[in-house]
Amino acid sequence: MSFKVRLGLVILIVLIMFLLHNSFWLWDLDGRVPLLFGFMPFAYSYYIGYTILAVLAMRLVIGLAWPDPPDDLFEQTGPDKHSDH
Amino acid sequence: MTNVIGIGLLLSYLCILIAIGVYGARVSLKTREDYFLAGRGLGSIAVFMALFASNITAFTIIGHAGFSYEVGYGAYGYVIGWSIFVTPFTYYLVGYRSWLLGKKYGFATQPQVFGGIFNSKLISLLFLVLLLYYTLPYLVVSIIGGSLAFTTVTEGLVPYWVSAMVLIGISLIYTLPAGLRGTVWTDVFQGTLFLVVAAFLLSAVARALGGFSEITADIVQSNPAMLERSLSEDLAPINWFSYSFVNSIAVVVFPQIYTRILAARGSNNLKQVSLYYPIALAVIFGVSTLLGVWGSVAVPGLAGKEADNIVPLLIHQFLTPTWMVLGLVVVLAIVKSSIDSQLLSVAHLVTDDLLPRFKRIESGQAVLWGRMLLVVFAAVAYFIALIRPAAILSIAGFAFSGFSVMLPVMIGALYWPRATRQGACAALVLPAIMLHLWYLGVLPEWTTLGFMPVFPSFVLAVITLVVVSYLTPAPSPEQREKTFGLFERVFK
Repeated sequence: MSFKVRLGLVILIVLIMFLLHNSFWLWDLDGRVPLLFGFMPFAYSYYIGYTILAVLAMRLVIGLAWPDPPDDLFEQTGPDKHSDH
Repeated sequence: MTNVIGIGLLLSYLCILIAIGVYGARVSLKTREDYFLAGRGLGSIAVFMALFASNITAFTIIGHAGFSYEVGYGAYGYVIGWSIFVTPFTYYLVGYRSWLLGKKYGFATQPQVFGGIFNSKLISLLFLVLLLYYTLPYLVVSIIGGSLAFTTVTEGLVPYWVSAMVLIGISLIYTLPAGLRGTVWTDVFQGTLFLVVAAFLLSAVARALGGFSEITADIVQSNPAMLERSLSEDLAPINWFSYSFVNSIAVVVFPQIYTRILAARGSNNLKQVSLYYPIALAVIFGVSTLLGVWGSVAVPGLAGKEADNIVPLLIHQFLTPTWMVLGLVVVLAIVKSSIDSQLLSVAHLVTDDLLPRFKRIESGQAVLWGRMLLVVFAAVAYFIALIRPAAILSIAGFAFSGFSVMLPVMIGALYWPRATRQGACAALVLPAIMLHLWYLGVLPEWTTLGFMPVFPSFVLAVITLVVVSYLTPAPSPEQREKTFGLFERVFK
């Protein structure tokens, strides 16, 4: 899979996460869904689930589009490099 | 406060910070890169705690709890929901590519990275001016917020002016000798401390109020509106949507955050950070939300700014004095970890990006300049915090939005080879002007179409960058090669 396609999938992940955060159509459930563990209402527990999803989404992003740099990438320094950096 | 255990805890905490400063100074090299970037050798835990502790301010435990007191459980998603994913994502989106350029070309700040990409001293200057312009008021507000919190927690025993002096003084004790290494080591200590103490605090308050389920049952019975987001005007969908563009995407633009990303040892450290970050944010804001909402039934009747005192009030009314001291330590830890990083980053920006425009500064001199500037900025911030001028507070009110609207240029520079320096200049200046016109009331409110001003300003930045870039000559192949040639070797 080319990097552009993988980057496209990353953008899709971001859009889905944005949509899940702005999920106004689910707000009706705030007063109707039973409390999670007896003390977490839907408006709160939704974001516990969202956190787990965020970790999974970041794991996917890393797998799809976050390659490590090749070993020799930093061997030669450019002309702009600060002399004392 | 007269509690012996409490005073012992407070003194131990201060001794640990001083020891970190002394030891950090002994192991630090007297070079610019070591002082400001810890030799680009920060591991995963160090980068994570440095970013997290710098990101968390007095607002988290004081302001957010107050907001939750007023609007209910919905405050959690409104304030931090989108940040849980997008803040660590921006560490990938902007952070990783910037880190690659920093490591390759020796860049240490945003003016250097983006001035370097566009090969433009003007872009570098614009970044410098805007970052200082938004960071300094934000620093002053952090000091004001922290000092007020400190005074509240000590029930007025420590007056405001002493609180501010203590906060700044302690920050300087370890930042001055040890630079970034000192602030990062204290961040690891303080970040762990406030996460652990906050969790215990929540549990102690829950026990004192009769248990998790009992408090919630009370809320359901006495104030069911706290459960439903649709019943709060503050959480109206258009505000909820607009707020996605305020603090969550601004974080990576803060110079104190950006520099810490550049200081990471390797790519793997940044990956680890982006996996830990959502959990840490969810935990600390989760605790703050619950304390605020529970406070609405345990200590009812607080209005406006009074609600911001809910956490100190809960501790005072329901827990022992030792908890009060622990609360004080948490406030100190949270406030100082953001003040020290802001102070160091403004001193770094001036030392590395402003002074060299007038005279050549050698590496050893840079450390000396950095230390002098730290003291100068600390003194200036202290006096402004005492005076609290309206103009500074008004700029701080939209500093987050100011940072946010700089993001399109940063993303464009790192991902779009056709972006030009003219496009970047226009996309930095125009949205900043519009933001001022909207926030200072020069333009009527209806012109934002109901959104918070940050959203139209952000869209304007994107459009300006694209249109002006297409209207001006494309960057030279050499200029593109320097940035995108490097990226092509990594992102295959």
